[in-house]
Amino acid sequence: MTAATRYLALACALAVAALLGGCAAPATSVGMTAVPTKPVHPIGGDVSVAVSGGSQTSSTGGSQISDEAFAQALRDSIQQSGLFAKVSPSGARYQLTAFIGEVDQPVVGFSMTVKMDVNYKLVDAQSGATVWSKVIDSQYTARPGDAFAGVKRLRLANEGAARDNIQQAIGAMAALKL
Amino acid sequence: MKRVLRIGLLLPMLILTACATNSATKAPDADLSKLKTFYVVRLPEDTRGIEKLISARLVTMGHQSTSGDAPKPDAPVDAIVTYQDHWMWDITMYMIKLDIQIRDGTSGAVLAKGEVRRPSLQRKAAEGMVEETLGVIFK
Repeated sequence: MTAATRYLALACALAVAALLGGCAAPATSVGMTAVPTKPVHPIGGDVSVAVSGGSQTSSTGGSQISDEAFAQALRDSIQQSGLFAKVSPSGARYQLTAFIGEVDQPVVGFSMTVKMDVNYKLVDAQSGATVWSKVIDSQYTARPGDAFAGVKRLRLANEGAARDNIQQAIGAMAALKL
Repeated sequence: MKRVLRIGLLLPMLILTACATNSATKAPDADLSKLKTFYVVRLPEDTRGIEKLISARLVTMGHQSTSGDAPKPDAPVDAIVTYQDHWMWDITMYMIKLDIQIRDGTSGAVLAKGEVRRPSLQRKAAEGMVEETLGVIFK
């Protein structure tokens, strides 16, 4: 075997390892959960959460934000913030729906910025009235220092954008006089 | 050794030539059939005129549509359309992914969105990507 063939074999092995080692992982609910930075004015009553517009991550595509993971992060963030008395699976006084509108992700890049917007709507189940609705934009940049592998950087950027979005939503709901 | 080399070369090709995918989602209470007038906002980074292709396709589909650089049109419209086009190089440049969002003309909230991803070997011209993406959104 010549030196050129050896290098080619090594390059092929590295390419395969890089590709197989770089399978996309979905954004996690833990990574998207917003940590409360200050006490919020509690609304009281319980809330149920429903999310749509998310995407599933495929092994050959990029990291995505699923409905389930975003909903779990939203529930956990609300619970940690104390905004509502309780997060119920269904039949709650307030119903919070979130539609993940735009998730703008880079296909490749060193610094990866994900931009997203989410339409939130809070409905009082007793009166049927929409007490709050808002489109919230957020973005987050993950840099090579955060993660060497591009697939991980994209996941971190997804999680950062979602976390900031949820943080803003909780802040906006905390300002409501209900 | 040659067999290992062949497998080593074929495997990345197999992974890089993944299947084409398309998908669309609507907001829970969205009714796209009520939308008659559209305005497509040009993405600042877009120098290929994708906004004009989207607007032209909407007209072909029987809607009224205009496009421009301003984030909002001069006259009110039922829906504002935004998009993100992603390009890659493989012998020539091709559009690997197109995302389109249909937004409420007043609030800017996303009513529906669609995404088409096509790898190099299944590439389409920009017109084809626009047609496919709008097709899955309004299906």
